Amino acid sequence: MRKPVLIILCGIFVAVHIIALGKITEESKKLPKDEDSAYVMPGSILRITALDFDGLASDFLFLKALVYLGSTYERKEEFRVEAWEWKWIYHVLDTSTSLDPYFLDPYYFGNANLTWGGGLIKEANALMGKGSRYRSWDYLLPFYMGFNEFYFLGDNEKASESLMEASRRPDASPLYASLAVKLAYKERRTENAIAFQEYILEHTKEPELRKEYEARLNALRGLGYLEKAVVKYKGRFGRYPRKIDDLITKHIIDKVPAEPYGGSYYITSLGQVKTTSESKLMPYQRLNLLPSSPSMLPPGQMSL
Amino acid sequence: MTTLWPIALITFKEGIRNRALYGITLLALLLLIANFLISGLFMQEIGKVAVDIALSAVSLSGLLLVLFVGINLMEKDLDKKTIYMVLSRPISRSQYIVGKFLGMALLIIITMVFLSMCAMLSIQLIKMAYPTYFQRFSWPMVLLALSFSTLTMILLSALAFLFASFTSTSFITLVLTVIAYIIGQSLSDVKALVEAPQVVGIQVSAITVKLVQIAYYLFPNLSIFDIKTHAAHALPLSLSYIFWTVIYGLVYTALAVTGAAVIFRRREFP
Repeated sequence: MRKPVLIILCGIFVAVHIIALGKITEESKKLPKDEDSAYVMPGSILRITALDFDGLASDFLFLKALVYLGSTYERKEEFRVEAWEWKWIYHVLDTSTSLDPYFLDPYYFGNANLTWGGGLIKEANALMGKGSRYRSWDYLLPFYMGFNEFYFLGDNEKASESLMEASRRPDASPLYASLAVKLAYKERRTENAIAFQEYILEHTKEPELRKEYEARLNALRGLGYLEKAVVKYKGRFGRYPRKIDDLITKHIIDKVPAEPYGGSYYITSLGQVKTTSESKLMPYQRLNLLPSSPSMLPPGQMSL
Repeated sequence: MTTLWPIALITFKEGIRNRALYGITLLALLLLIANFLISGLFMQEIGKVAVDIALSAVSLSGLLLVLFVGINLMEKDLDKKTIYMVLSRPISRSQYIVGKFLGMALLIIITMVFLSMCAMLSIQLIKMAYPTYFQRFSWPMVLLALSFSTLTMILLSALAFLFASFTSTSFITLVLTVIAYIIGQSLSDVKALVEAPQVVGIQVSAITVKLVQIAYYLFPNLSIFDIKTHAAHALPLSLSYIFWTVIYGLVYTALAVTGAAVIFRRREFP
């Protein structure tokens, strides 16, 4: 064959190759994705097939979950990630940690996302429990577990136990123990949440996560500040203020703190301070903040 | 020893000249460079991932070395009929096998030392790039894992010798060695699974359990040499574990080579 013919042929092949690959990528996105395709092999089987590359398999399974969740940021819907997808991510992380139960990343990633994003508190805590058993030198995982128990499940007793466990581990902040004791006072919910969030922020390096945590901390601080003012108001006037502005006009506070999510604070008829962006503080409002009233949960929305 | 050494040396030289060796080394180096890109994707334990990838790259290249260079070395004399020339010399067939094996072991050790140094360099460079992400890390454990990996490859090549002593072509030896490797790596996990099948909700007959238990003692347990997880997390390992693992590896290797020599002595060449 002559040279120009060869060059043209190669050019055509390369062009078709690029077009075909692009088409396939596009088409594969349209393929139905559901729970059936989201099967994850159990860890004990994968251990066999991974031969002596268990650690590597664990790393790549974790990356799979990370990339999957990352790819959902392209979506436009408000509830970006569907419930079965959260379950799938949990299973992938669980398998990843079965292959290498000492690997911190899946635990860390699972805790940050399964709870706030997916509302899978029990699953996240199962991961924390597993990690905490193996990583016996690490105070972070029992600490996170304690936070989840306190904040999402409203189980102060268990949270206190987890925090005590965290405080016994090497290099743990001595404040964990005192926080564990404080948890006994249920009425100090916001205050305890602020203390927890401060510790969590301390241990977070990623700028994106830090930004999110700082906003959450500021919202909680705002709530805490206003709650105190409401108590003062009640002490002075014998009733709850009807709206936030009452606190200013009666000179209890000078100004209302800024709401970091762009919403605003308000007072319920029962005197509770709330924010209009409560869904940021409670993921998807699947769970109720008040530990005393679990029956108030809307039916079918709890995916625990 | 004086008769073994020339055979060992010539086997080693033959191995070093094998082109496949360069390919394997190149692959290992590429994997170690990829280590930078991959471990940077992680959030917390970059050190763990870097050690995982480095050790896996060395272990994979060692495996390829045994499968494609080692078996070739063993079978070359048989395939090319140069074995007649060797056997007409004043050496016994057992000496020939043992000498060849020593040469192969030397080749494995030297290649693994080179690959290990590259692996440690890649870990060190990543460590310099992300110093705060290497909280739990210990060089002695990495070195131990690399040594165990080398021991695995020596054991596997001894098995390849055993298979080569009775098969007629190198392809069958290759297949048998690959099967032995897969069985060896997964046997203890399979044993754990069939002994407690309820974990994944399967049913296993009593005969299967017995068979697996017999296989456990028959085939080499290669997974005991796999301490990559320990190395990656700097988990402590007892001295007696290390001692018995080394003893197990050496004894199994000696058994396989002796078996190969015994079979080879009785072999008839057409």
